[in-house]
Amino acid sequence: MDTVLDLDDIQGNVVKAYGRYGYPVARYLFFGIVAPEAGRDFVRSILPHITTSVPWPDLSKTPLAATNIAFTYQGLRHLEVPDVTLHGFPDEFSMGMKARRDIIGDTGPNHFHRWDPIWDNQEEKIQHVHIIVTMDGKNEDALETRYQLIRGILAGVNGRSKDGGVVQLTGHRGAGGDDPLYQSAHGLLPKPAELGYPGGKEHFGYSDGISTSYFQGCGEDPDLVIGGGKPVKGDPKTKEGWAPLEAGEFVFGHRDEAFEYPEAPGPPLFSRNGTFMVYRKLHQNVGSFNSYLEAEGAKFPGGMEALAAKFAGRWRNGAPLVTFDTEEKANQYITRLAALQVKVWANQATEVEKAEFAKLNLQLKAYDYDDDKDGAKCPFGAHIRRSNPRSGLRFGNVKAFADEPGALSNRRRILRRGLPYGHSEDPTRDDGDHGVIMMIINADLSRQFEFVQQQWFNFGNDFHLANDQDPLLGNHGINENCRGEGRMVIEGDAKTNKPPYFCSRMPTLVETRGGDYFFVPSLTCLRMIGLGNIDPT
Amino acid sequence: MANKSGNAYALTLLCPILPGAPPGTEPGIGAKSHVACLRYELQQQVRVSEESPMAKVLNTYLCRFYVLDDVPYQGKPAILEHLKSRYLVFSSNFHGELDDYLKGMWITIEPEIRFILDHCVGFSEVSDVASFIAYIKKCQVKTTFFFNGSNDDPLAEQLKALYLKQEFSKFVCENQGRNPADLQQAFRQFIKRAQPENTANPTWKAGAYHLDRVVSQ
Ligand code: HEM
Repeated sequence: MDTVLDLDDIQGNVVKAYGRYGYPVARYLFFGIVAPEAGRDFVRSILPHITTSVPWPDLSKTPLAATNIAFTYQGLRHLEVPDVTLHGFPDEFSMGMKARRDIIGDTGPNHFHRWDPIWDNQEEKIQHVHIIVTMDGKNEDALETRYQLIRGILAGVNGRSKDGGVVQLTGHRGAGGDDPLYQSAHGLLPKPAELGYPGGKEHFGYSDGISTSYFQGCGEDPDLVIGGGKPVKGDPKTKEGWAPLEAGEFVFGHRDEAFEYPEAPGPPLFSRNGTFMVYRKLHQNVGSFNSYLEAEGAKFPGGMEALAAKFAGRWRNGAPLVTFDTEEKANQYITRLAALQVKVWANQATEVEKAEFAKLNLQLKAYDYDDDKDGAKCPFGAHIRRSNPRSGLRFGNVKAFADEPGALSNRRRILRRGLPYGHSEDPTRDDGDHGVIMMIINADLSRQFEFVQQQWFNFGNDFHLANDQDPLLGNHGINENCRGEGRMVIEGDAKTNKPPYFCSRMPTLVETRGGDYFFVPSLTCLRMIGLGNIDPT
Repeated sequence: MANKSGNAYALTLLCPILPGAPPGTEPGIGAKSHVACLRYELQQQVRVSEESPMAKVLNTYLCRFYVLDDVPYQGKPAILEHLKSRYLVFSSNFHGELDDYLKGMWITIEPEIRFILDHCVGFSEVSDVASFIAYIKKCQVKTTFFFNGSNDDPLAEQLKALYLKQEFSKFVCENQGRNPADLQQAFRQFIKRAQPENTANPTWKAGAYHLDRVVSQ
């Protein structure tokens, strides 16, 4: 029997990537709690505005803005969550992201000394982020209205509090040195030829937000199981090749892939339907990316675009490399897909076009790596093959884990949330304030996010790639010329006698600028926190 | 198959540790007991030289010494059991035959072995290679699990292979795309420097536990 989830009780960002529902702009607000009672007052006051996971079958009836809330360990302490409950949290959560730096690669160019000041990058200053409130809007106006609502709640709380209340924290590195009150983020529009294409861009020019993880009871479109679920025996091009992941991989209090409940603190009502969220502000070195790509792309057979595709595992227009092996095929495919999408959106598509659209759309995700066991199409080191190897850790040996083709990856899946931030004004420069606000949802920070970050991005052993790192996400260090020492093998093709290609001296392309680990409570738990009536005994 | 897999040998010893303290020790001083002295030696030997003395013993793939205090109690309904003594456990995976390996071990690090095994029952009988080998065989237990991180080639071959792999990948990165004549020239120089046939030099050093220390000049 599949897990049934109480979607009224689970926060909306757990099941929905709002960007896909027509919310292209967001603001992330951070608060510190000075007085515990004011903190609880804030939670009680914001509770009626929290967006839940209830499905949105009719897109014309969705709210103008969504609001969600989560807490760091320090935040829960300041809300006076009982010690017994706090001690039930796993170490990595109570330690926080900074203390996990050696594990997740936040050293060198990623060290917290280089983070935004809000994360307390100065040793002598003591400031902890306690609360994050995320707001996703259909447009800037809706966002501003929602923001003023939150400001009003804050003013009310602080008016009632006699001992310091709740403080909205600043210290985000804005563009041009300003000190904004919140972190804003926004979808980046695709190029005109790809307009209508599902999924926005990120600053290196890739279409992003295509793949998802699909789990039992999430209430999302059941077709998303294709490519989003876990691989099973059938054909990966069809639903027969996939099954929904167990809900416990992403939500506490439900069965996970080991057929257990994920580790979470008591009482059960406190953690059930909650989860963890990783917040990471990731700066993108656009200048280094472009100059490396140009220099190396001039030598790489196939050219710059093909090299960019090998880094990610998808062409920059989103077409997956395993299915579309030339730029021309990838362009044809995406142009057609985008044109059909526009028609479908405008309700002008014929039945034939609708069917064609459905078929093409499926190709974005309906694949595995069993037909590419030597990495000739999509390199083992490519970002998407590392971040979700699907059944690929069998290295084509389909008899291995025949009943559970994803045995080595099903416990490492994550949900990706978040949007790009800032604008890269000058494509030749790294500085400025632009990148991706990455929010990752998973039930086990150490087994899922941290493992992917440590073993799959910053190490290569699982892919037989020695200590090579993810070309885009790896911490390639900084050497004397401000370049990194990253390396990537782009496998050749024995069938066509194509030699492998070796990228070396890759600069660090993505740098951490801040973040922490947050607990995303259920609505029930928010009520308990707000009322201060958690009884762990 | 026990103990051997191709040319790889898996050795496991359980040497009973002497009870109490060496004769003449002031009674009641725990830090002077045989087991305490043995533990001290195991920790000290690595600290003093930064590398284990076992790094000098030819053809050791991986080895480990530890003290087995007792068997853990697993809770009701398990029966509470105890070992008759504490044991020094030595497990080593190496290339070649047991007798040759033990002979090499004795010749290379006899003093270090004595420091440790002097605290074990019956070791006082050991006086030379032959009696050492006999002693070890008396303590040996059948082993079926092998270290998975290497093949069964001689260690020097394996270290040289790792060295060559590292150097060759550097060479490839530095030279890919050059014209055939230049490439051949560069490759000749590479071969001259890396000397693939010479397993002694240049190569990775045995027993190094950090990448910075592996290349011996
Ligand atoms: C600036 C930072 C990043 C950039 C530019 C980036 C870029 C991309 C791109 C272009 C894709 C392919 C589009 C898609 O399949 O949706 C992708 C997929 C993915 N990325 Fe990232 N990414 C970034 C950070 C991260 C981080 C920090 C993680 C996890 C710790 C991550 C995990 C994933 C996963 C799981 C997928 C989907 C793979 C699949 O299911 O096939 N990414 N990313």
